[in-house]
Amino acid sequence: MMRLQTRKLLDRAFAGVGVFAIVLMALALIAILLPIFQRGAGAYVFRATVEHRRQMLDLFERGDEDVLVKEMQKALEARQPVLEALASYRADQSERLNEAIGAADRLAQRDDLLGRRIARAVEQLRHTADLRQQIDRLSRIEQLMRPQSTPDMTDDLDLIRDITSELEVQAAQYGELTERLRQLLGPLPGDEPRILPRFRYGQARWDRALIKQSQLLYIEEWDYSDASAMGRRVLSPRRDLFADTALYPLFEHIENDLEAMLRPRWTFYGRFLTDHSVDAHFFGGIGPEALGTFYLTLGAMLFAVPLGIIAAIYFAEYAKPGRTVSFLRSCVSTLAGVPSIVFGLFGLAFFIYTIRVSPGKSVLAGSLTLGLLILPTVIRAAEEAILAVPREYKEAALALGAGRWRTVLTVILPAALPGILTGTVISMGRAAGETAPIIFTAAVSVGVALQPTEVFTQATPALSWNIYNLATEHEAVDEIRHVQYGMVTTLVGIVLLLNIAAIWMRARISRKLRG
Amino acid sequence: MVDMGNRNHAPADDLILSARANFRRKAGAWLGQGILFAITSVAALAVLFIFYFIARDSIPFFASRGFAEFFTDTAWYPSREPGHFGALPIFVGSGLVTLGAVFLAVPLGVAAAVCLSDVLPFSVRQVVKPIIEILAAIPSVAYGFFALVVFAPLLQDAGNKVLMTAWWILAGPTLLLLVMVLGDLSTTWVKNEKHVRAARITATLLIGCVAAYVLVAGARFMGAITIITGTNALNVSVILGIMALPTVVSVSEDALQAAGRELREGSYALGATRAETLCRTILPAASSGILAAAMLGIMRALGETMVVWMASGNAAQIPEPFFNYLMPIRTLTATIAGDMGEADHVTGSDRYHVLFAMGLCLLAFSFICNLIAEWFVARQRRKLGGE
Amino acid sequence: MNNIPTSEFAVRRPPAVSVKTPRNPAQAGNGNQLMADSFSVYYGPFEAVKKVSCAFPVGEVTALIGPSGCGKSTFLRAINRMNDLIPSCHVKGLLYFGGKRIYGPKLDVTVLRRRIGMVFQKPNPFPKSIYDNVAYGPRLHASCSRRDLDERVETSLRKAALWDEVKDRLQANALGLSGGQQQRLCLARALAVNPEVLLMDEPTSALDPKATAAIEDLIDALRGAYTIIIVTHNMQQAARVSDLTAFLYEGSLIEVGATSQLFTNPKEKRTEDYITGRFG
Ligand SMILES: Nc1ncnc2c1ncn2[C@@H]1O[C@H](COP(=O)(O)OP(=O)(O)OP(=O)(O)O)[C@@H](O)[C@H]1O
Ligand SMILES: [Mg+2]
Repeated sequence: MMRLQTRKLLDRAFAGVGVFAIVLMALALIAILLPIFQRGAGAYVFRATVEHRRQMLDLFERGDEDVLVKEMQKALEARQPVLEALASYRADQSERLNEAIGAADRLAQRDDLLGRRIARAVEQLRHTADLRQQIDRLSRIEQLMRPQSTPDMTDDLDLIRDITSELEVQAAQYGELTERLRQLLGPLPGDEPRILPRFRYGQARWDRALIKQSQLLYIEEWDYSDASAMGRRVLSPRRDLFADTALYPLFEHIENDLEAMLRPRWTFYGRFLTDHSVDAHFFGGIGPEALGTFYLTLGAMLFAVPLGIIAAIYFAEYAKPGRTVSFLRSCVSTLAGVPSIVFGLFGLAFFIYTIRVSPGKSVLAGSLTLGLLILPTVIRAAEEAILAVPREYKEAALALGAGRWRTVLTVILPAALPGILTGTVISMGRAAGETAPIIFTAAVSVGVALQPTEVFTQATPALSWNIYNLATEHEAVDEIRHVQYGMVTTLVGIVLLLNIAAIWMRARISRKLRG
Repeated sequence: MVDMGNRNHAPADDLILSARANFRRKAGAWLGQGILFAITSVAALAVLFIFYFIARDSIPFFASRGFAEFFTDTAWYPSREPGHFGALPIFVGSGLVTLGAVFLAVPLGVAAAVCLSDVLPFSVRQVVKPIIEILAAIPSVAYGFFALVVFAPLLQDAGNKVLMTAWWILAGPTLLLLVMVLGDLSTTWVKNEKHVRAARITATLLIGCVAAYVLVAGARFMGAITIITGTNALNVSVILGIMALPTVVSVSEDALQAAGRELREGSYALGATRAETLCRTILPAASSGILAAAMLGIMRALGETMVVWMASGNAAQIPEPFFNYLMPIRTLTATIAGDMGEADHVTGSDRYHVLFAMGLCLLAFSFICNLIAEWFVARQRRKLGGE
Repeated sequence: MNNIPTSEFAVRRPPAVSVKTPRNPAQAGNGNQLMADSFSVYYGPFEAVKKVSCAFPVGEVTALIGPSGCGKSTFLRAINRMNDLIPSCHVKGLLYFGGKRIYGPKLDVTVLRRRIGMVFQKPNPFPKSIYDNVAYGPRLHASCSRRDLDERVETSLRKAALWDEVKDRLQANALGLSGGQQQRLCLARALAVNPEVLLMDEPTSALDPKATAAIEDLIDALRGAYTIIIVTHNMQQAARVSDLTAFLYEGSLIEVGATSQLFTNPKEKRTEDYITGRFG
C-alpha cells in the first residue's frame, strides 16, 4: 500500500500534469500567433523609404507630387557621392583599357594581314560603349593573335592580356556591386529602362533595405571545411576587393548615409488590405486575395446557412425518431468528418466536370464546395441553438393558436437566432480559412480583383491559397516575406475576430439565459 | 374593474374545417414537411454523392492497374512514362504523421481535459476555453506557414537544442516523480518502523542516480542529433498534434463531464484522492468518450492537407528506419493537393485517377474512424444511461 | 369531515351563488361548453387519464385538484390538444367543445387553441417586448390595423390588471418583468386572442402570496366572461376562486361538484382523505 504522502504527491503531480498541458497549449498558441502577428503587422506599419512613396505616386497616384519631387531631390543629392565614386571608378577603368587599346593600336601598325585584322577589330571595339564588351573583344583579339604572333608582339600582347584579365575580374566584381546597388537604390543613371517594377525602384521598406545594405557591404560565403557539420556562414567585407580604387569610399557612404539616400519614415499602409499587387507581390497589397476570400466566404454562407438552418429545423422540430432520420444524422456526421481535400476532389469531379457550374475553376464552384464543407457545422450549431430554446416558448405560441410553421418562424427562430448566428460566424471563419477545397475549384495564384458579376465564371486569388503559393512557389520567397506575413496576419486576424465575436455573443446569450 | 361586456368573438372561424379546407390544410402540412425533408435529405445525402463521385473517378485507376501495385509497391513515379504508382510510402507517411500527432495530442489533450473538468476553478476555465477555441479556429494554412517559415528553420538550425529542451521539459519532471514514487513503493516490504525512513532514502537515492543517468544520457543523445532538413515528419507531427488538441480536449472534456457528480462524490466519500478518483472511476467511466476523442483527433490529423503539404518535405519514401521522424515524408492529402495541378490537364489518365483512389482511401479511413467514434459515443451514453 | 373547520376555506361568495350543477350541453347558453365523455389519455401503454366524464359549465371557474402525478396537467393539456407535441401520447374516448369533437378528424387545431387559451405553471413570456408578447396572438389570427392592435393590447393588459404597471414601457423586454407581472402578462397574452375557455395549470405555484392574490383577483374578475379551468395544489385557492371542483385520483375522476359542497361535504372517502391531507 502506498503511503498517504505518496498518494498526495501523486495527486498533486496529477493536477500538475493537467496544468502543464494547458500551459503548454497556451504557450503553443502564443508561439504561433506572436511571430505571425508581430511580423504581419510589419506589412501594414513599417519604415517606408522614399522609393515607396515614389511607387505610390507612380502606381496608385497617391501622395503629393511636389513634396515628393523635393524629397527625391534631397535623396538624389545624398546618393550623388556614390554615383560619383562609380563614375570615377569607371573612368579609371577606361583609362586602363585605353592603355590596352593603345597596345592593340601599336599591334595594328603592322603592315600585313594580321595588322589589318587587328586594326579592324580595334575599330569595332571603339564603337562599343560597354566596358564589359570592350574587354571581351580585346581579350578575344589577344587570344586570336597569340598563336600567330611574332616575338616582337609578345610584349604588347602580354600587356593586353594582363590588363584584360585584371579588368575582367574587376568588371565582374563591379557588376555584382552595381547589381546590389541597383537593388538597394533603384536603377543607376545610364541604365536601360526596365519594365518590371521590381527593377525600376529601390527598396521600398527600410528593413529590406538594411538587408540589401549588408548584402552589398559583405560577401556571404559558406564554409564547408568541417565535413561533419553543416556549412558555416562567413561574411567578408566587399570593400576589401576594391581597396585602393575609387570605389573604396562608396562603401563608407552606403554604410553611413543610407538613411539620407532612402529617407525612411514610419508609415501606416492601411491600403495594403485593398491595393492590388504590383509585379507578383513585390509591391502593392493583397486586395484581390482579400476580395476573393470575401466572395468565397460569402458564397459559402449563402449556400450553407439557409440549407443548414432548414435541415436543423427539420431535425429539431419535425423529424420523428426512426431509421430514416438516424440515417440522415449519420450522414451529416460523416460529412463533418470528410477530409477537406476530398471536398476539393469532389468539387472538381462534380461541380466542374459533371454538372459544369462553370467552364473551369470559379468562385461559384469554390463557394459550393466550401459551403458543403461547413454545412455540417452549421446544421449542428443551428440544431443545438433550436433545441436550446425553452419548450415553454413553443408551448405558449401553440397555445395561442399559432401553427407549427408560425411557431417556428415567429418564436423559435428568433429565440434561437443568437445561437445560430454564433455557429454561423464560427463556420464563416472556417470557410474563410480553408484552403484544400478551393485548390482545384476556385483558386488561382495570380489574378485581378473580380467584379461581382464575374464570380460565376472566373477563378480568383484567395488569401489562404496565396499564402501557400507565395510561401512555397514564388520566385523570390525570401524577398516578400512581409507580404506573406501580412496575408497570414490578415487571414488569422479575420478568423480570430469572427471567433472572438462568436465567443462574445455566446457569453452574452448565456448571461441572458442565466437572467 | 375592467369592463367585461365587450367580448367579441370572431364569428367567422369555425372549429370544424370543411372537407376542402381540411384537405388543403393536410396537403399543405404534408407538402411543407415533404419539402423540409427533401432539403434536409439533400444536405445529408451529399456525403453519399461525395462517396459516389470519388469512387467513380477512382475505378479507372484500379481497373487499369489493379490493387497490388498501389498498396504494396514502394516506387512512386507518377510522372514517368509509363508511370509507376506504388503508394505504400505515402500511406506510411500519412500513418507516421498521424501517429505522431496522436501521441502528442491525446495524452496532452486528455490531461488538459481532466484539468479543465475537475481541477481548475470555474473562473480559470472560462479563460482557458477560448484559448482552445482559438487554437481550433486558426486556419490550417496559417499553421502550415508557421511550420514552414518559423518552425522548420528552427528545427534545421537548432534542432538538437529544440529536442534537448523538449527532453528536459518532458522527461525531467516525469523522472523526478517516478523516482519518488518508486522509492516509496520499493520499501513497502520494510516492516520495521525504525528502518523505514533510512530504507526509503537509500532506495530513492539509488533510483535517483539511475534516473539522473537516464536523463543526462537522453539529453546527450538528443543534443547529438543533427537534423538535415526542418521540413520533416517530426515538424508536421508536432503541428498536427497542436491542431488536433482542441478536438481531443473538448470531446474528452464532454465525456468527463458526462460521467457526473454522483460518481465522483461516491469515490471521494471512500477517501480517495482526486487523482485516484479520476484514474480509477472517472476515466474508466469516460473511456469510451475519450476513445472517441482520440478517433476524432486521428481524423483531424489524417485529413489535414496544408500543413503536411507545406512542411513535410513531400518525399515519397519510407523513412530509414521506418520510425525515423527526422526524414521528410509525403502524405496522401499532400499528394492529392500537389499532383492534381499536373494531372489536371490530362483528365482520363492514371495520373489523375490515382489521386481519386487516394481520396477514396482517405474517405474510407475517415468514414471508419467516424463510425468507431460514433459507436464509442453511443456506448458511453448507454453506459452512463445505466444499462 | 368535522375535523376540518369550514372557516379554513375562505369561500368568497355565498354558496347559494356558487353552487351550480353541470348543465346539459344543449342548455349551454351563448357559449360553447366543454364536455368529456369517457375520455382517456395514454402515454404509450400507460393510461394517465382514465375514462373521465364530466362537463365544464360555461362562464364558471372549475378547479382540478388531486395528488401529484394524478393526470391533472395531462387532462388539461388534452383539452386544447397541447399533448399533440408528445409523440407517445394518444387519446381514447370523446371530448367535446361546443358539441364538436376536439379530436375529430377535421378539427382545426389552431382555431381550437385560439378559442381555448392556456396559462402555464411557469410564466413563459416570449423574449420579445411586452407589446409584442400581447400582440402576438392577434397578429396571428387577424390582420388588424395598428390602432386596433394598440387597443387590443391595452384592453388585454387592463383585463390582466397590468396596464398601469407597464404602460410606460411597452417596448421593454418582457423578461425584465417580475415573476408575478410575467404571469399576468401571459394571462393578458392569452386574453388578447379572445378565447372562450382559459386553461390554467397551477398558474400561481411559482409566485409569492401577493402576486398570487393578484392572479386570484383576476380570475375572480374574469368569471362569467370566460370558462376557466384551473389546476391547483392549493386547496384554499381552489376554495377561494372556483365554483366547481373536480377531484382526480390516479387518472380517474373521483368526484366533481360545487366547491362549497365538495370541501364541506364530500361524497367520496378518497376525496375526504385528500382534502383533509391524509395523502397526496
Ligand atoms: N411526456 C410524458 N410521457 C410519459 N408519461 C408522462 C408524460 N407526462 C406525464 N406523464 C405521466 O403521466 C402521469 C400524469 O402526469 P401529469 O403531469 O398529468 O400529473 P399532474 O397531475 O399534473 O401532476 P403535478 O401535480 O405534479 O403537476 C404521471 O404519472 C406522469 O408520470
Ligand atoms: Mg402538473
